[in-house]
Amino acid sequence: MSLLEFARGPAIHAALIIMVAGFALRLLGVLVLTRGADMSRPRDAFGNFKGYRTVFSRAWPAGEFTTTTRYQTVVAYVFHIALLLVIVGIVPHIEFIQSLTGLSWPAMPNFLGVALGTIALASLFALIFRRLAKPAIYNSTVGDYVAWVVVALPLLTGLMAFAHVGLRYETMLALHILSSALLFAYMPFSKLMHAFWFIFSRAQSGLAYAHKGVRI
Amino acid sequence: MSTATATTPVFPTFEQVYQGLAGQIGMLREMAPQPTKSDEQRLKGAVDTLIEETNADEAVWLESCIHCGQCTNACHYFQATGEAKYAPMRKMDLYRRVYQREISPMRWWHRLVSKPVKLSDFEEASELIYDSCSECGRCTMVCPMGIDTASLVHHMRSAMVAAELVPPELAALRMEQKNMGTVFGSSPDALKQMVDTIREQAGVEIPLDKDKADVMVLSSAVDLVANGNGLLATAKIMNHLGIDWTIRSDGFESANFGLLSGDMSLWKHQVDPIIEAAQKVGAKTLVIAECGHAYPALRWNPMLSSGELPFEMMYMSEFLGKQAKAGNLKLRPLEGKVTYHDPCKTGRRGGAFDEPRAVLKAMDADLVELPANKEYNWCCGGGAGIFLLENATRLRDESFKIKIREVNDTGAESVVVSCASCRLNFEAGRQKNHWDKQLHSLVELVADHLIEDETTARGQARGAAA
Repeated sequence: MSLLEFARGPAIHAALIIMVAGFALRLLGVLVLTRGADMSRPRDAFGNFKGYRTVFSRAWPAGEFTTTTRYQTVVAYVFHIALLLVIVGIVPHIEFIQSLTGLSWPAMPNFLGVALGTIALASLFALIFRRLAKPAIYNSTVGDYVAWVVVALPLLTGLMAFAHVGLRYETMLALHILSSALLFAYMPFSKLMHAFWFIFSRAQSGLAYAHKGVRI
Repeated sequence: MSTATATTPVFPTFEQVYQGLAGQIGMLREMAPQPTKSDEQRLKGAVDTLIEETNADEAVWLESCIHCGQCTNACHYFQATGEAKYAPMRKMDLYRRVYQREISPMRWWHRLVSKPVKLSDFEEASELIYDSCSECGRCTMVCPMGIDTASLVHHMRSAMVAAELVPPELAALRMEQKNMGTVFGSSPDALKQMVDTIREQAGVEIPLDKDKADVMVLSSAVDLVANGNGLLATAKIMNHLGIDWTIRSDGFESANFGLLSGDMSLWKHQVDPIIEAAQKVGAKTLVIAECGHAYPALRWNPMLSSGELPFEMMYMSEFLGKQAKAGNLKLRPLEGKVTYHDPCKTGRRGGAFDEPRAVLKAMDADLVELPANKEYNWCCGGGAGIFLLENATRLRDESFKIKIREVNDTGAESVVVSCASCRLNFEAGRQKNHWDKQLHSLVELVADHLIEDETTARGQARGAAA
């Protein structure tokens, strides 16, 4: 079995199984915990439901904080959107998803995929440079840097494979798939879980404040 | 007699009140209790408290932080110092370590790779849990995950009670309230004495200990032992409105050092007699004195099914606002430009935004909002008991400069506050910085602007006689 075969076969499949099991373990392990009851009378009888708005409204910082959070917000959005488009938009990825699920859709042109991948990687660098430049603000842990490396590797190797730079194409591709496998397997055990937590976390705070008649 | 009050002050000015109280606060440190349990018991108590208080909400919040640093933009203590340790996200680090080792679904892993938590970790966290977090909740407003750091810090305060690591000032007041039921000696006798003083010297009647009343009003330690003007103003307004009201010596204290220190059982112990007294007198409304944290202690007390109570609880500013909106408060116009400071506990973490503004409107006030107001208001830096902490002096002084800047930006000549803690902290900041602004408490401002006429005189007579 070549490295590429290993990557395409057992490695990526094992990683996906670990990812799904890890998501389930971590989500259920937290969400089955009891909910503390706030017995106080809400300000408005049905006002608490308004709290769910926070899940959506917190997608962009409030006017009060637009200036101070602009860099982080804009760069983070550029990164997330570019990455998401590359993940679901280029031919080899769609083929991989189709092999797993049978679903497929039209792909974007290659040049666009390369451009978006480059933008995603560049924005990732823009984020880490700021993190390194302002240690007081970020209070970074080892986990923050490991997560950055694990996210950056598939992007870097993917672009290199696509552009035929570095090692042999087959080797680069294998490294790209292996680093993606690492990302999948690492996700549930890292801060990358925020992909799920943000919904619950925002909703909880939204509800707690809406209970008092405060819109956050 | 009642007209004489306008010209001869019965009580000292708030400037003197602050100076007197500062002396008393200085003595608290010597009265602080020493730890009684072994270090092992203290550590176990702290960890067990966190395990017990951690529900899915807390777990999700602890799991959600991505260290994006946005919260540092919102925190007055971080903004004032720029020091990494005061970043709001840091304030939950120890809690998260306990959570990861004891509760998290990944605890088997964290026990393998992380060191056990020590009592010294809690000792070091004291500065983050007490001195540098007023639980104002401003960081929640910017956090992309919406993490409610203030709630997590409050659970940490509970753990600190179990670890016997409450700062000396709060520990002393907690023990006083727990053992003697008083704060700074504000006993039922002190209340009676104050009521007598107000009757004899100001000619204003306070219906103490009535059997039945529509409105039960609370006082606070600051009013009873230092600032008599607060209670005097409350009485003037209630009598002016002709309300059937009372203050009960079996439930009058707004201040709750259970809540401030993190002692949940004392919190409850302090609330129960107030609720009982209000039910006994058949009150329809319970008015909480201008004591910020008393609002969450009572109105938003999560342990109290307040929907089932036969009365409504409201903060002084809410009560005044409702009266103003109903057109019951006839007030003289307020001269000059003013701004209003929303106390964290009644504003962002309480939701009483409109009512105090309605009161100012009833005074035809030229109200200029602070640049960051309502939900986004900057904490004055003295909330959640921090005003009392000597170790927090630098943090308080530095963060208050944000408040000075904000107020100066409005061009207002005076600031209206509706919280004794905020007011004391503002007064401290005003004196230290030789700041040229005037400070007003909302309730005292209203009392000073009442339009006295025949109907109000009748109301006063009725209120006093009832």
